[in-house]
Amino acid sequence: MDLSNVKIMVVDDEVDLEPLIRQKFRHKIRNDEYNFVFAHNGLEALAKLIEHPDIGVILSDINMPEMDGLTLLLKLKELKNPSLKTVVVSAYGDMDNIRTAMNRGAFDFLTKPINFEDLEITINKTLEEIWQQRNAMKEHDQLISIQQDLSVAREIQQAILPKTFPPFPNRKDFDIYASMVAAKEVGGDFYDYFMIDNDRLGFVIGDVSGKGVPAAIFMAVSRTLIRATGVKGMPAGECLHYVNNLLCNESVSCMFVTVFYGIMNMKSGELEYTNAGHNPPYILSHDGSLIKLEATGNTILGCFEDHIYNTKKIQLNPNDDLFLFTDGVTEAFNKQGEIYTDERLEKLLLSVNNLPVNEIVNKIVNDVDQFAQGVPQSDDITMLNIKYFG
Amino acid sequence: MELKEFKKGNFLVINLIGRVDTSNYTELEKKIIEFIDGGEKEIVVNFSDLVYMSSSGLRVLLMALKKITAIGGKFHLCSLKENIMEIFEIAGFTSIFSIFNTIDEAAK
Repeated sequence: MDLSNVKIMVVDDEVDLEPLIRQKFRHKIRNDEYNFVFAHNGLEALAKLIEHPDIGVILSDINMPEMDGLTLLLKLKELKNPSLKTVVVSAYGDMDNIRTAMNRGAFDFLTKPINFEDLEITINKTLEEIWQQRNAMKEHDQLISIQQDLSVAREIQQAILPKTFPPFPNRKDFDIYASMVAAKEVGGDFYDYFMIDNDRLGFVIGDVSGKGVPAAIFMAVSRTLIRATGVKGMPAGECLHYVNNLLCNESVSCMFVTVFYGIMNMKSGELEYTNAGHNPPYILSHDGSLIKLEATGNTILGCFEDHIYNTKKIQLNPNDDLFLFTDGVTEAFNKQGEIYTDERLEKLLLSVNNLPVNEIVNKIVNDVDQFAQGVPQSDDITMLNIKYFG
Repeated sequence: MELKEFKKGNFLVINLIGRVDTSNYTELEKKIIEFIDGGEKEIVVNFSDLVYMSSSGLRVLLMALKKITAIGGKFHLCSLKENIMEIFEIAGFTSIFSIFNTIDEAAK
């Protein structure tokens, strides 16, 4: 911060003081280091404060007509401006008035006759104090605004994710459970599911690159577009092709989202899907084996207009689970800087296929938590599990 | 993350060292934009000393690729470790970026 922006107001009824100060500090005034304002009593000083809101240091005499220095101090106290500092100037040995002034919030005092060397040291010290205080206030304001930003982002994310389980309590042919543990800086993960018709369930998991409010808004837009397009029942690849072109218009500085979108037919057990740059989900087969879903050769949404998204199909068997996750799971870090890895996830998934959906998800949530040993999450950790009963 | 750059012919080679994640990707973004705005049209990003890159880092690379392609320049990547290559494969970026095995091949 530039200290020359902070003005110094001298309040004294002696008219000789102004030319004297202007003469003694002429170099500093010429170099814009000191910027003086003069008033001749307390009342005039208060008026000047309104006229010059950039006054930071006040040098005030005590005995003055109209309003004396001690009364001025009381009035200044009422302004409750922490970056306004008053230095009182009093007769040598006038300890009573100096004590009263200090008790009324004066920052320092000087004695008459004024020693200009001492005055300069005092002014610099006071300016320094104001500078530090204003900086601290600025940092405080920035911190508050970051916190507000994060809490808005968190609210958007929480409002979007469906959290009632089971989501379709009347359906006996499938079950769903999901979990999202948000990182402190809110990464922009989301999941969603909806019935397209009586047989087909549309579902999605996604991860927006970036954080804070912009990522949260991009996530909200992505989720809404996928749901609105998905319920029309078009093939998975066509759905993301349409959404991608819309998102390309919304994306600022290449913000993007990785998305896995699938349609599960509960009558036939057929799963069709397209993968837009997302971690491939797993099928936990009823027979205990684990299948990583083949990629569809596609890339992220929001960056490349007219990219063609392919649709693949795979047949599910009764009691198969489809486990979807974001990279917050496999890229969780521990104290040693090691990552969780796909291998650890796969090993755990091989041991949980007969469990109910909520237990499968919670087992993995707990294992990632144990692995991280309290290291703060750098990304959201999100999972979605769908069990097909047939 | 640490970033060291040097010239190799017409190419500016940027060595990325350490990790690029949500805590420092803005630093990388600022630097790369500075290089491009400063007139660099042919850039190689060398990954040989990079251990991790999060999706926020990928976004910065995408942005740089688009910016440089728009002015008819080249944006090449080289020496990606296996785990980072896998992230590129999952995201479908291996067909979007020009990826080389060595700096020499990338800066030809």
